[in-house]
Amino acid sequence: MKKEITYKQAYEQLEALVEALESGEISLEQLANKVKEAKDLIAICEKKLRKVEKESNQAMQEE
Amino acid sequence: MQEHIPLSLLAEQIQQTIQNQFEQDSYWVSARIMNVKKYESNRRCYLNLEESKNGTKIAEMKAVFWSNYYSEIEKFEKYIQQPFKDGTEIICKVKVRFHKIYGLNLDIIQLDIAHKLGALELERQQTLEKLLLSNQSSIKEIDGQYFTYNNQLALPLVIKNIAFITAANSDGQRDFIQELAKNKHAYNFHIDEYLCTIQGEQAHELILEQLALIVKNKHPYDIVVIVRGGGSLGDFKPFDQFELANKVANYPIPIFTGIGHDRNQSIVDLMAREFKTPTKVAAYIVDYNFEFENRLLRLKERIFDRIDTQITAAKESLAYAKRMIKLASPEAILDRGFAIIKQAGEIITDPKKIKTGTAISTYLKDEIIESVIQKKEKNEKRNYI
Repeated sequence: MKKEITYKQAYEQLEALVEALESGEISLEQLANKVKEAKDLIAICEKKLRKVEKESNQAMQEE
Repeated sequence: MQEHIPLSLLAEQIQQTIQNQFEQDSYWVSARIMNVKKYESNRRCYLNLEESKNGTKIAEMKAVFWSNYYSEIEKFEKYIQQPFKDGTEIICKVKVRFHKIYGLNLDIIQLDIAHKLGALELERQQTLEKLLLSNQSSIKEIDGQYFTYNNQLALPLVIKNIAFITAANSDGQRDFIQELAKNKHAYNFHIDEYLCTIQGEQAHELILEQLALIVKNKHPYDIVVIVRGGGSLGDFKPFDQFELANKVANYPIPIFTGIGHDRNQSIVDLMAREFKTPTKVAAYIVDYNFEFENRLLRLKERIFDRIDTQITAAKESLAYAKRMIKLASPEAILDRGFAIIKQAGEIITDPKKIKTGTAISTYLKDEIIESVIQKKEKNEKRNYI
């Protein structure tokens, strides 16, 4: 079974994609795929972040 | 019948002689007091002054504190912190009196409290020196403060298990237990009582026995507390005694004392951690545990602050990535009026690949235009509009 990607891994991949987009090294043919890939990575990061935030808020309120 | 005089006349002559000899003077004498009978209601005290040599009594005289000198006894007890009782060595100023009925008596008019204090202090200094000498690795003195093996033992993070040496039904026992029981944080404690007499000549031996018992029991005590009930004027001698002080200095469990010695510290206090009264010992324990709880709360706050900062930073980074991706997406490009040209399903970025007369698809935002290339020419001036 494929190991689930961590927030750090997902964010590093996303960062690399954004840098590539900023530098213009992605061709138009690749663009749609890369954008989709980036959107998937953003979704993974947001999901993980929301989970951490929720757990942290719960822990704080447990006092 | 022999020539004689009445007893009263003889007594008067003795009285006269003694008066002539002693009336104008008073004398400082050193003696041990015995048969002390204090009458606090009419402020008088009757006693014997004695002197012994090599265990044999060599002098004994009756003495009295009349009411106008009774305050000397009160001063003695206040400053010496010992009861004025049988066996006490004193230096006192006396006047010699002879009464025809009550006989020879010494009226005590002053007690040498300074001397008594000095003698006690000397004894105390000698004990301290002996302790330092016989415990060179476990007792150090720096500027009058004593650092012992015991009072330098680290305390646990939280004090829960307490061995409690106290006298049964004493004020000290009650004060300590009550102060812990009513603590406002509702902390619970495990307290084992080791009861023994805390005052009197043999008290130090009894306390030593209890200290030995505590070690023998092997219960994981965090601390040992020794308290003495307040109230009555105490005899603190047991707490200045060498063997007990020596044991306390080298004892393996931290010892807290609350033996109610307001004027100065006993030697046992110096060897342990001193808190003056039973109530203060208990209050310190509660505060100590509260301090730990506070440290935990502060750590927790820091952790949550840190998490909060990290989450906020991560959100900002993601928001930036989202904006970038949105701007770079084909949809955003088409939104800005650009078009994508495809031929046979492939995006064309190199115009050389398209031949005149072939069909192409032009993808705009909302429509696809199908057309045939009629003519191609170079845009050498890079003229886009």
